[in-house]
Formats: sequence, structure tokens, C-alpha cells
Amino acid sequence: MAHNCIIRLEGVGVAFPRQASLRRGEPFWALENVSFDVREGETLGVIGRNGAGKTTLLKVLAGILKPDRGILINTGHRVAMLSLQLGFLPNLDGRDNAMLSGILMGLTRAQVRARFDRIIEFAELGDFIDEPVATYSAGMRARLGFAVALECNPDVVLIDEVLGVGDADFRAKSAAAIEGLIRSNKTVVLVSHNADTIENLCERAVWIEQRVTQAQGAVAEVAGAYRLSAASPPGDGSGPGAPPKV
Amino acid sequence: MPRIHYLELLLFKTYADLKAEASRTYLSFLWWVIEPVLFMLVFYVVFDLLFKRGGGGDFIPFLLCGLTVWKWFDGTLRMGMSCLRTNVALMRQVWLPKILFPSTIILNNTAKFAVVQILLLGFLWLYGYLPTRVYLALPVLLLVQLLLIMACTYWLAALEPFLPDLRLIVNNGLTLMLFLSGIFYSADRIPEAYKPYYFLNPMAALIDAYRDVLLDGAWPNWTHVGWVAFGSIAGIYGAYIFFRHFDRIYPKILL
Repeated sequence: MAHNCIIRLEGVGVAFPRQASLRRGEPFWALENVSFDVREGETLGVIGRNGAGKTTLLKVLAGILKPDRGILINTGHRVAMLSLQLGFLPNLDGRDNAMLSGILMGLTRAQVRARFDRIIEFAELGDFIDEPVATYSAGMRARLGFAVALECNPDVVLIDEVLGVGDADFRAKSAAAIEGLIRSNKTVVLVSHNADTIENLCERAVWIEQRVTQAQGAVAEVAGAYRLSAASPPGDGSGPGAPPKV
Repeated sequence: MPRIHYLELLLFKTYADLKAEASRTYLSFLWWVIEPVLFMLVFYVVFDLLFKRGGGGDFIPFLLCGLTVWKWFDGTLRMGMSCLRTNVALMRQVWLPKILFPSTIILNNTAKFAVVQILLLGFLWLYGYLPTRVYLALPVLLLVQLLLIMACTYWLAALEPFLPDLRLIVNNGLTLMLFLSGIFYSADRIPEAYKPYYFLNPMAALIDAYRDVLLDGAWPNWTHVGWVAFGSIAGIYGAYIFFRHFDRIYPKILL
């Protein structure tokens, strides 16, 4: 288990301005002090309640937001969120949307074309692939989005509680695909508020609460500590309220 | 990701947007032709039929030379100004260089303009204004105008998230500029004393240059064109730096 650390966060904090303006007002800290490592090939669970700053944290890992405090070291790996239906245009057919989504996620046109058959097969769309996405059912759209996202192969995949889209059959299939991803040698960061999910799928975990790292280490210990605290919620509502959904 | 990938993204995103736009209407791509023709018809009705501003009958080619290139400029700026705001959902899911969004709009509008420009040239030839040697200057003028559009659109798109009120100012500013750019009148009618100020407006300088080439068979004023090109390149470079600096601020301030 001599895994290399490929991403390191040290005391990372992210501040949001309260108002869009060139003037500097009092910012809001969505993350205050978060530190942990992501190691090559592992599945790392990030656990925390709603408003703990999990989504903001994923955006920092994906390079969308820059830490305002602390440092993020990424040794040159491509990190991307598993985004469903990224950039979909409802008036275009499934093929164009798969292409657009794939290119947005970093594939070349040739790469998407080479994966078309697999995408269509996985999404179970058949001839519907040539119809406008606007005519799809929500389930069909979700399946196409998932199939494309699965084919985009970043070095580190970030997953934000998206297990299970579509009907029951497809949910099982997508959950299996994600599990396959997780069991493979791919580096995955999985975010959830559910301790069971994290415990089932991850080797190590980080617990974030009140925008600060509370614990990190083997998944059993971290999930255990999180459950204990869940039994007696911290703060008695003394926190400054939920941060804005980003 | 390598730079070539962003070029591919720019091209495909533009293609997809154009296709999606076209599929929203019954006449789809025909609107690329109909819409500008309607736009020009409005001015034709007002100035030629109502005000009898026609004179020798050459007012229509004169007007169209100004209007087509004006519409390229005006349409791109209006559409490009708020493009970061309209793409904020995308921006929050995947990192992309933000300058890509206005670039898509510019390419989109340039493709539409190309159709109009070809129609205009066809119209001018039918009207008796045949191509001359000075047509060699036309690609240069088109390129310089593209640079100007890029500079203006990039700056507006870059600033709009910080100053949402900019939209109202620009909308009215563009209307003012429409009347100050010599679309309905010739630059010759401007008193000599005011001419240097008049040509500070880059669109006035360009429209005058287009008319020299397309209608008068004369070379354009290269000093004017050169200044517009120089200013635009400086503007593009500045906007590029600005975008780079605020790259990861935009997803935070756009709500």
C-alpha cells in the first residue's frame, strides 16, 4: 500500500464575496481549514453534513475554485467531477450532445467518436440517439449523461453523491459502473453525507464539519466518529448557518 | 489540456450553438438571411421612402455598406456581454478558460455575418459596383473589424460580472454609436474641424474605409485603419490578461 500522494491540501480555505462587486466586502468562508492527501489509486471518502463545504471542496480539487488560504498541491494530474449532462443543448440530438459533453470534459472529437458505440449501448438509447434530447424522458437524458461521463477518463474522478440515475434497472447498472470505477486502480474522491455509502466503497475517509477537517484516516474510524457526532449534533445551532449552495 | 483541444471545443461549441439556434425556428437557417434583410428593410423604409433621403438613388448601397458591418459589431457585443453569466452552470462543473465563452459568441456571429457580407457583395455587383483592384483591401478591413469586435466583446464580457449595470449603459451606448458612426450620412458632411474627433470612433473610421473600397474604388485611409488595428490588438491582449487574472473568481461572483 505504498501509494504516492498525488494531491495535497494544507489548511485550505475558500471565501465567497457576499456581493458581486469590485469592492471588497466582508467575505463568507465556505471552507476554513481543510487538510488531507489524495493518494494514487485509492478511493477517498469525504463525509460531512449538508453545508459542511463538501461541494466547494470538490470544486477546489477540480481546479474550478482557487483556495484563498492554504495551499493545494496537484502534481500534474487531470482532476474532473463526474458531471451528468454537462453542457447539454436540448434542441440537438443525442449524438451532438454526447460529442459536446465529451469535448467539454476533455476528450478530443476523435476520442468521442471512437467511444460512440459504447456510449449508445450503455445508455440503452437505440435509435433515439438521433432524436433531439428535448424529446427524451428524464431517465433517458440521465442515462446518456451518465454514459458520456463514464467514458471521460480523468486521472482523478470526483463524485458528488450521484450514484443512481434513471429507473431501477439502470440505477443498478450505473451503481455497478461506479463501483467498477472505484474497485479499479482509478483514483476516486467520493463525497457523501451518508456514512454507510462511504464505508462500503472507500478505503480511507476524511470528515469535514463546520468547514474544518475533523478527522482523516481508515474509513471505519472516521465513519464511526462521524456517526457518534451525528447522534448528538454539534454546535446546538450555534454555527453561522448553512453556506450558500454553489 | 493542450491548446489544440480548446480550438476543437471552440469550433464544436459554436457549431452546436448555431445548430440549436436554427432548430428552434421553422425557417431555421433561412433566418440567417431573412433577419438581416428585415433589419435593413427597416432603415430603407424610414430613410428612403419616408424621408426621401435617397437622392441619386445610390443611398441604398451606401446605407447597406454601413449597416451590414455595423450589425456584425452591434450584434456580437450585445450577445457577448453577458456570456459568462449565461454559462455559469457550465463554469461551475468543469474548468475552462473563460475567454472561450465570448470567443464562441464572436465566432457564432462572424459565421452569420459572412452570409450577409456575401449577399451584400452580390447586391452591390448587381447594382453596378463591380469589384476593383482595391478589393484587395477588403480582407484587411474585415480582419481589423474582427480584431475590434474581439477587443470590445472580451472587455465587456470580462467586466459585466463585476458591473451588471454595464448592460444598460452598453445597450444605450450602442444606439448612440449607431448614429455617430456615419451609417446614414457620409463622413464628408462632418465639418472639417470635428473630423479628427469623429474618426476617434473606430466604427466610423471602418465604415468610411469600407465605403472607399466598395463604392468609390479608392484605397482606404490606412492611418485610421492602422490605429484601429493597433488599439484592438492592445485591447485583446489586455482582456486576455484580465481573464487570466480573474479566471477562478468568476465562478464565485456569478450567482
